[in-house]
Amino acid sequence: MERRVVITGCSAITPIGYSKEDILKSLENGISGVSSIRDDELLVEQLNTRVFGTVDESVDYDFPRKYRKTMGPVAMSACRVVDDVIKQSGLDKALLSSGRTGVAFGSSHGSISVLKKVFQACFNAHATEMLSLSAADYLKSMVHTTAVNITRMFEITGRVICSPSACTTSSQAIGFGYELIKFGVQDAMICGGAEEYDTTTVAVFDNLLACSTNYNDTPERTPRPFDADRDGLVVGEGAGAVMLEELESARKRGASILGEVIGFSTNNNGGNLIMPDPAGVAKVLEMGLDSARIDADQVEFISAHATATRIGDVVEARAIHSIYGDRPWVTGLKSYIGHTIGACGVIETILTLYMMERGFIVKTLNLDHVDDRCSMVRHTPQLMETKIDCAAVQNFAFGGINTSLLLKRFS
Amino acid sequence: MDREEIQTIIIDFIETNFEMSDIGLDDDLNAVHGFDSIDAIELLREIETLMQTKLTRNEEEQAMGIRTVRQIVDFIENAIKDRA
Repeated sequence: MERRVVITGCSAITPIGYSKEDILKSLENGISGVSSIRDDELLVEQLNTRVFGTVDESVDYDFPRKYRKTMGPVAMSACRVVDDVIKQSGLDKALLSSGRTGVAFGSSHGSISVLKKVFQACFNAHATEMLSLSAADYLKSMVHTTAVNITRMFEITGRVICSPSACTTSSQAIGFGYELIKFGVQDAMICGGAEEYDTTTVAVFDNLLACSTNYNDTPERTPRPFDADRDGLVVGEGAGAVMLEELESARKRGASILGEVIGFSTNNNGGNLIMPDPAGVAKVLEMGLDSARIDADQVEFISAHATATRIGDVVEARAIHSIYGDRPWVTGLKSYIGHTIGACGVIETILTLYMMERGFIVKTLNLDHVDDRCSMVRHTPQLMETKIDCAAVQNFAFGGINTSLLLKRFS
Repeated sequence: MDREEIQTIIIDFIETNFEMSDIGLDDDLNAVHGFDSIDAIELLREIETLMQTKLTRNEEEQAMGIRTVRQIVDFIENAIKDRA
């Protein structure tokens, strides 16, 4: 038996704000969260790109030390947004610790700032001799650090899925959480992803010539998804979480329902680990619709992955057109926040939920002149007040992984 | 370094770094203050710094059975004596 899955809590720490009101204000006013990259005294000087989607807002991480001691920055931001969604959803401790609530969460790496300390110690004979690495360093830097720090802090005893798959980390987390509830394995899942400031990720994309470099002096003008003058992605930081619940148990609790997940698909291109594959991307969009059991013309808004790379945007626009035609409005939300890698899927899902609730769609920032090769889809031309009943959030990752999430306004 | 100095340093380290307070000499650190194995390993590193020497594997295993500050101070005194 298949069960309906609803969203009863969401929270995001993003370069355009942490509170829902701040995020909506930035979206409505076309304010970018991209700024100059921070100096890590290690790699920044060697990079061609100098822009980053930065969280400038001060966020409280006032957790007791017994929890904090096993967290690097990435786990702290994860636990912050999870604390928010637990409070918002009203899920109590008995349910969290019932074994019927689980966690699907990830990040690209464990805490990269802690990993740097580990590597520095390994290459420093004196530090190694005195065993300068603390016992908690592994718990902070292991790849499932976000998921298990969440289980510890909130005493969650159900399934744990750690989904580090770069840019599809958190969209897979939501999708896998959705499937566990849909098929009766769990009743609630806390899903999402986080990414802390990491110059090494920037360096990797920079070396691949994938980062934006033409707007180093005017950071707010990049990234430029689908624009003729786009020149690459902008890496960013952030975190996001959603609480997914089985509809009837959420109703019984009297929870406020923010939206419904009606479908999820994920596949792999089965080939190149870096270049996007038109067939693989189109297939995952088609599979998403099949999963949701809806027709393409029922989707009114698409949150595109749209990293603003030269090839990726063209492949995505063509794939959207091949499955959806030119009916749904298409926006690249990374134009506001940059590419938060492991957090992008959940943040873009939350921004879409916010817009569904408020009844508007924002344009893609910096989309001044649509690239002819991306012009076959219906780009959102300006802030538009419109009701969205059904939306798709799509993400694609290094490694050839693709995802599509289908969301519905709850009524 | 006498016993009193060692005791002051250890209590100060635990209170400052582990956010624990009002530590009694014979308190069971785990039961009363939530001191766990992660804290124990971190404290061992501090003891090595204090003694300016590396503890042996046997000493470390012995130390993991310690429950109170008094036992920690005994352990350090003995380790110093063994190296004298």
